[in-house]
Amino acid sequence: MIERRGHAGSATRRRANSVIFLGPAIVLTVLFFVVPVIIDIAVSFTDLSRSLRITEFTTEQYEKVFRTDRRLSQVIGLTFIYVFGTLAIFNVTFGLILAITTTAIRNVSGSFFRGVWLLPRMSPSVLYILLWLWAVSPTEAGLVNQVLMQVFGLDAPLDLLTSAPIALIIISNGFIGASMGMIIFTAAIRGIPEHLFHAAAVDGAGTFATIRFITLPALRWPISFVTIYQTLSLLVSFEYILLLTKGGPFYDTTVYALYVYRRAFESGQYGYGAALALFLIVIGVVVALIGWRFFDMERLLQRPRIEVQ
Amino acid sequence: MIHWRFGTAALLTATLAGIVAFIAATPLFAQETVKLELWSRQDPSGPLRPGNVVKAAERLNKELEAEGSPKRVEVAVRESPAKGFDDDALQLLKVFGIGEGPDIFIAAHEWVCAFHEDGFVLKLDDYIAKYPQHFGTIFPSLWSSAKCPDGTYAIPQDAEARMFFYNKKLLREAGYDAAFIDAMPERTLSGDLTMDEVLDIAKQVVDKTKAQYGVLHRPNKGPDYIMVFNAYGNDFVDPQSGKLLLERDKLAAAFGWFERGVKDGVIPANNTAMEFDALRKEFYTGNAAFWMYGIWDLGSVAFPTYGLPQDEKAFFADWGWIAGPAPEKGGAPVSLTHPIVYAIAADTKEPELAVRLIGHASAADLNTDHAVTTTHLGIKPEQLEDKRYADAWPLARATEMLKITKFLPNNSQFGELNGIIFAGIQGIESGRLTAEQAADFVVEEASSTLEDVIVK
Repeated sequence: MIERRGHAGSATRRRANSVIFLGPAIVLTVLFFVVPVIIDIAVSFTDLSRSLRITEFTTEQYEKVFRTDRRLSQVIGLTFIYVFGTLAIFNVTFGLILAITTTAIRNVSGSFFRGVWLLPRMSPSVLYILLWLWAVSPTEAGLVNQVLMQVFGLDAPLDLLTSAPIALIIISNGFIGASMGMIIFTAAIRGIPEHLFHAAAVDGAGTFATIRFITLPALRWPISFVTIYQTLSLLVSFEYILLLTKGGPFYDTTVYALYVYRRAFESGQYGYGAALALFLIVIGVVVALIGWRFFDMERLLQRPRIEVQ
Repeated sequence: MIHWRFGTAALLTATLAGIVAFIAATPLFAQETVKLELWSRQDPSGPLRPGNVVKAAERLNKELEAEGSPKRVEVAVRESPAKGFDDDALQLLKVFGIGEGPDIFIAAHEWVCAFHEDGFVLKLDDYIAKYPQHFGTIFPSLWSSAKCPDGTYAIPQDAEARMFFYNKKLLREAGYDAAFIDAMPERTLSGDLTMDEVLDIAKQVVDKTKAQYGVLHRPNKGPDYIMVFNAYGNDFVDPQSGKLLLERDKLAAAFGWFERGVKDGVIPANNTAMEFDALRKEFYTGNAAFWMYGIWDLGSVAFPTYGLPQDEKAFFADWGWIAGPAPEKGGAPVSLTHPIVYAIAADTKEPELAVRLIGHASAADLNTDHAVTTTHLGIKPEQLEDKRYADAWPLARATEMLKITKFLPNNSQFGELNGIIFAGIQGIESGRLTAEQAADFVVEEASSTLEDVIVK
């Protein structure tokens, strides 16, 4: 369209457009990503500790990361289990199941169930975790124990916070994480042309064949996006874990991001926390790039081959 | 033209009169209000710690008026919502670090040297010598809790005693006779009752009564459980160099006590995951045999919240306490006192006034108000003569323990070390570590994160 008006002013216009459209995003990225990363790098080369004073510039923090910190390997292993466990069980798989089932039933009940699954995301995190704390309370008053003891005749109450803390943090995060996948997948399923389903039915496809050959191929991009996005968000978020288990018992549920927090803010080792955080940033960027490559996200963002007007 | 005969004289007189009036009124106009900021943790177990400083301002102002000084002191209290003294100290270190520190602060004594290390706290030796009327009679033993290697940096505000409270009713139900139960405190002090016997008694209670728990302790980082480590010979500081000292085998011995407690089903595996109030409730409502805590819990929680008898005789009919027992028969029992202190910022503009203010806040009568309302021990011998103090029997009874009491080390890194020790206890109780592994964990973690740690 622009070309028809001639070349005069189009270059300026294009520049103005890029400023208008990209400007806010660039400003936000610089302010909330680039600048913090630079500050983090700077702090990681200092001895900033509990009284927020820098007395020397040093590489000591990195020596600690590579040489003396014995908790780190356990923390990284746990982070891997937590991120991929939550992602594989809830954020993608369960989100997908929810989307497929709630679009397959009547619209009203489908919306109702989606609404229910959105509740955890809508409730404030403190409130949500308070409910969890009550549910898994190691006494007879806890919801889980009430059910197990009264319905299934269990003798003594279970203490899930001590006996299965990793499962608990995966489930409590998953219940929230599933809803995002659910919404995106639902929208994508709604976007599949209806006639494809009819054609499949005529050809004799059953439910699973329809899901496999029609629904899933159409969800390729949404699944890729949800996977990358949720991996990154699970890597850096820890508020539910902090509220539910405080990273314990011992270090059992201290994922990497929480470990950075505990080092920096609970022990006052800010310089060390900054060095640890830098690796989190690097891991985040690497995961994003691998995901980009692996899922071939570039194709998703290519100009459409057909012009839809 | 009007000509006033005495005009010039009148004007001169008026001017003179004005000057005289002005000079006479100068003290009024020149009265200078000195605002001193006091940092205090919101702490229901000691509201008069800041409260007494506020009251002291009135006394100091009267004194200043009598001296003819134009200065008047006003105290502004800045309350921090930190959960414990450790969190509070870390917060305050940051506040000082960005130059927003208060003039005076209240802290747990073992943190004072951390403030000193960063140059945030005023050295007080000269002031203490200058004002014997305020500080001269403070118990000499308490001063050691206010010292860093090169001098005194704080004024003790109170002391207490930490112990194992026990529920006599449950012990009777478990089959122990009155003679045995009543002799426990004496046997502990003489080194006859041991740490492991506490676990045995607790096990009898758990096995033979409805009570669910044997021994409960605080759920977060703090001083009381250090008593167990003291009992097994851990002093944490090398007396020669003042550096942190970790003795692996002694650590393992202390951790072993917690390990046996959990194995016997006496200490709950989730003790560190429980809420403070929930733990107290379990003990004071008769669901636990022992509660490892401190004397002030009677005044601040047990009496007012759970209605334990305030009468001495009635109290000791069903409840009691023992010091931290010896590790084996014939060994030494321990108790721990954890003084809270007042400290003054190095950069306060009015160090003299701040010291005098704290001097008045440390007056025997004001300190007794704090002591008797919250069952903390006083700081001066004069307080013992106060009838109110004498009537508060928990204080008199707890004072017996001061003979065997220890302090946490005044080392600037002890707060961090304590966090590591606490993680070790949590690791053992939740079944993640054995006692040996916990000792190794503490040694490794402390060696890699703290400076100048001596390991034996």
